[in-house]
Amino acid sequence: MRQSAKNISPEVNLYFAGVDIGSTMTKVVLTDTADRILSAIKGPTGPEHRQLANEVMRMALEQADLQLGDISYIVATGYGRVNVPFADDQITELSCHARGVSSLFPNVRTAIDIGGQDAKCMKTEKGKLVDFVMNDKCAAGTGRFLEVTAATLGIRLEDMGDIALKSTKKIQISNLCTIFAQQEVVALLSRGEKLEDIIAGLHDALASRVAALARRLKIEPDVVLTGGVAKNIGMVKAMKESLGCEILVPEEPLLTGALGAAILAKEIYMKATAEGEPIPTKPRRLEKATFFQQ
Amino acid sequence: MSDKSQGLSKAQEIYLNRSKRVRELKATGKKIIGYPCVYVPLEMLTALDLVSYRTCGDIKEPVTEADRALPSSFCPIMRTCLDCALKSKNDFLDGMVTVHSSDPQEKTARVWESYINYPYFHFIDMPSTIRPEAIEYFKSQLNDFKKTLESFTGKKLTADKLKAAIKSHNQQRALVQELYELTKPAPPLISGTELVQVVKALMSLPVAEGNNLLAQVIGEVKDRADGPKKKPARLLIWSSTLDDIDVMQVFEAKANVVMDESCGSIRAYRGSVKLTTDPLDGLADYYMKEITCARTFRQANIGETKKDYAKDIQSRFGYLKGIVREWKINGAVLLLVRYCDPFAFEMPSLKDYLDSIGIPSTYIEYDYTIGALAPLRTRVEAFLETIR
Repeated sequence: MRQSAKNISPEVNLYFAGVDIGSTMTKVVLTDTADRILSAIKGPTGPEHRQLANEVMRMALEQADLQLGDISYIVATGYGRVNVPFADDQITELSCHARGVSSLFPNVRTAIDIGGQDAKCMKTEKGKLVDFVMNDKCAAGTGRFLEVTAATLGIRLEDMGDIALKSTKKIQISNLCTIFAQQEVVALLSRGEKLEDIIAGLHDALASRVAALARRLKIEPDVVLTGGVAKNIGMVKAMKESLGCEILVPEEPLLTGALGAAILAKEIYMKATAEGEPIPTKPRRLEKATFFQQ
Repeated sequence: MSDKSQGLSKAQEIYLNRSKRVRELKATGKKIIGYPCVYVPLEMLTALDLVSYRTCGDIKEPVTEADRALPSSFCPIMRTCLDCALKSKNDFLDGMVTVHSSDPQEKTARVWESYINYPYFHFIDMPSTIRPEAIEYFKSQLNDFKKTLESFTGKKLTADKLKAAIKSHNQQRALVQELYELTKPAPPLISGTELVQVVKALMSLPVAEGNNLLAQVIGEVKDRADGPKKKPARLLIWSSTLDDIDVMQVFEAKANVVMDESCGSIRAYRGSVKLTTDPLDGLADYYMKEITCARTFRQANIGETKKDYAKDIQSRFGYLKGIVREWKINGAVLLLVRYCDPFAFEMPSLKDYLDSIGIPSTYIEYDYTIGALAPLRTRVEAFLETIR
């Protein structure tokens, strides 16, 4: 879905960027006036997470064959949004996900995002966020739940979903707390339960937790699942069962926040231009973002 | 510092060093009585020349000492209040008065009493509905309170003394109400952050000094030019306790908070106590009915909760309708302190009520620690984006 900036028709010459600094991954998407994705880069957020935004942005610019100065407007989102020195505006990841998902699936009404540190459910209307819920700050109901339990089982995180699909027996994991679930997994292993059944049980536990959160809002189709966890095929199946409805997953489920940020950047820029308002932008310098700035 | 901002500066100073004034008063021989909850009738303390001091927690202080007495999944406000007490932050207190406004408070009161040996300690039992029998019972509790106060001070709590104290406290209520009138203009003349500071200062001072401070603040705020800037939203915050400016600033970064409905704000100062022949009648009636904390259930009529839901939520939250209209509020945040069941159980009905009067609202939970503020900020900003 990418194309080089050079191939775009001459009348389209404005570029926009969305920078999504999540707890685990930093994502940058560059778009043009027609919301076409020119480049999309994911990189680990890392422990010094605020410092990597410039690096990911540099890679995205390189891929699109653009300079930072070519970008008309930049929106930062995600937990690290306040620390991006070259971003012109900050918008929460909830609005950005809602916008990004709507651009890929125009009929979406409910978007569920399961990230490394939180889970959120968003209701959208015409691309706009209208209501939302987020999980508590604990790891239950997030990607971390699968990360921690995968480590306990000695399984690679990316293999978890495929293994879960092989399950033939329902196992109930009763603990929602990540730490207690870890202990429960050890007890199930020592009882001789099969790995695939335990892993499927873990997926069901996570799905039912997220579904309970989502049901605080009225779930209406189309339902779209995003975030790193949406790449896990076992999790998509478990979510379908928990919610009892069809679930759509974008090709790149990690990028919807950054994509939405880029589209919102364009909308803010275009609206201000149409109204003849000045558009304050930050200096186009790829500086390291730091927590202590400003 | 210009003369014009003396009142606000003074309030800020007291907010930052709350016990300074009561420590001075203690040195002159005054007795200082702590209270953790606004359901304690302070008039009865004032009438006997006792200085009341609200014992608050500290959002920036990690709870360590209270862990030996209270479970961790427990009202964080009570945990931090007790923690501060165990760390001798209120070592100037001559006594404590607690009240059964919620179960965590009642349990904490027992622990508090057994860990710290105050010369005076009193617990007021309190029913949780506003039926006439409940108010009668509460009055009997106030009579008990009166007896222990008389025995502690060796003075008689006469009707005249109590009436005079009620008048001073009513004056304070009227002044706080006048102060909140100043958030009606757009932009408001006083910010939510400043209101938190002023109200917390009032809860740290004898009533007469508080009234002077209020008069000074109102005088200078009325025609100030350096007030808050106009922001895109005018918010109502509905919460159990919002008494910290760091929390308030999360809301005020991108909105004007024009009404903070919490016990660290106007909730403790609405209406006025009626001067009845037996002053305890007026006090019992006021504290049971006028303070709109979720701990008291304002059922429409016996048996009508389910039968007529619209009427029921009207009688529980109807007071907010006029506020929303008069203060031109366009969004409400229902801010829940974790484990606060009385408030948590009110949320769905309150949300329905706000929907019925056309006010968008969101429900946000946090645990009354400074670490909880980053996720809080995301939720608040996302809500503001939905109503923009």
